[in-house]
Amino acid sequence: MRKLITISLLFLGAPSVAEDYQQILDVEGDAEIIIYNTAGEVEVRGWSRSQVEVEADLGSGIEELIFEVDGNEVLIEVKPANRHHSHDIASDLIITVPYNSSLEISTVSADISVEDVKGEQYIESVSGDIDTEAYDSDLTIDSVSGDIDIEGDNKKIRIRIETVSGNIDIESVDGEFESETVSGDLVLYDSRFEEVSAESVSGDMIFHAELYGESRMKFETVNGDIDIKFNGKVSARFDIETFNGDIRNCFGPEPVRTSKYAPGRELKFSEGGGDGRVVIRTLNGDLRLCKK
Amino acid sequence: MNESDETKFDEELTRLAAALPTQVSPDRDLWPAIEQAINTPAGRANTIWNTPWAQAAAVVLLVAGSSGITYVAVRDDGPVSPVVIDTANVFETVSGDFGRKYTLGNQYLDAHSELQNELDEKMQFLSPEARQVVTKNLQTIRAAIKDINQALAAEPGNMLLQELLLSAYHGEISLMRKVDGIANSAMRRNDI
Repeated sequence: MRKLITISLLFLGAPSVAEDYQQILDVEGDAEIIIYNTAGEVEVRGWSRSQVEVEADLGSGIEELIFEVDGNEVLIEVKPANRHHSHDIASDLIITVPYNSSLEISTVSADISVEDVKGEQYIESVSGDIDTEAYDSDLTIDSVSGDIDIEGDNKKIRIRIETVSGNIDIESVDGEFESETVSGDLVLYDSRFEEVSAESVSGDMIFHAELYGESRMKFETVNGDIDIKFNGKVSARFDIETFNGDIRNCFGPEPVRTSKYAPGRELKFSEGGGDGRVVIRTLNGDLRLCKK
Repeated sequence: MNESDETKFDEELTRLAAALPTQVSPDRDLWPAIEQAINTPAGRANTIWNTPWAQAAAVVLLVAGSSGITYVAVRDDGPVSPVVIDTANVFETVSGDFGRKYTLGNQYLDAHSELQNELDEKMQFLSPEARQVVTKNLQTIRAAIKDINQALAAEPGNMLLQELLLSAYHGEISLMRKVDGIANSAMRRNDI
């Protein structure tokens, strides 16, 4: 039978001074943690206990803090008093959860950092920066302007990121990666991919990583530049086209004009056994293609 | 739109995309424009893009892309066919143009206009900083759409430009719809 434990601190009339709060509750099995905090910071850490601890430094404009456990489901929600209230709603949360917890974190401007949590993560924020570690499970991030940093553990996972202007930095991940940005830059560093797909309008893309033998890679940008430097052996067919950008290729073959009357250039060649496929499309972006 | 709605929408979009014919016969009134494009002026480069097959492929891409984008915009409405537009000496792009010869059609324009109205309404729920980010990035996308459109006007058969333009239109719609989610998120948390 499930047991529901709710700790709700109600600040009726909204307090005029900040409040500190600390509480630990038991949780069953691999916890599913849902966190809402509008502004301030959310810091999530993993530990070996079957408990969730919340330490909070609440802004003076907070009406209620909900900390609720129902079996393995945990809700932590910071509720601001009202939209016209002049008090500070920025609240800092430090939340410690079992290692294998899954996370769903949602903020407006609060920065988010996650350490030592191995379950699946879904993180969304409007303008908060996101700094997380990826271990054994998939990761989905939806952001507007906050920057996104992910450090992996070289285990196969799937990462999907959508952002408008936030920059994306990824290091030491393995598996599948997909991103869409408008003006944010993308850096994929020291990683290994089976499938990688990135789209941007004006954001630049840097890929200093490795592809598996039969990988598929697709980069598409309108005005962004693309810098690709492969780690390790490359076995792929390359299909590259730019309408108005330059192509520099360290693999040998030279790009050719697509038409006598237009500036477009294309580059098609095969490297290694040609097992994988690399497709790159740009309008005005320059491309540099190399290997380490 | 919540996560469940988004999943449902994605599944529906995938289902509809899968149901799209792999070969589409263009509307009859498209052919004069296609024939005109096929009969290129003397001296024009004889590239693969000037072949009848490439021109037909371009129309297939446009029909499928237009349908997809309009579906994304309107969700419940059926697909639309592209509309042939008049050529002009000076090409000033407007929303929905697909190069000089085609547009994504009135249904797309109606859906776009409806989304723009919703966007204007929802923008007031965003913080000034978020509003600025959205506005600036919509401008970036729209400038890209204009650039690609003008390039496509000069090279109507260029598949690269067609793909990039469809992708940019899709990006614009996605950002406009994303604002709805951000505004709802901000309202739900009773913030700013």
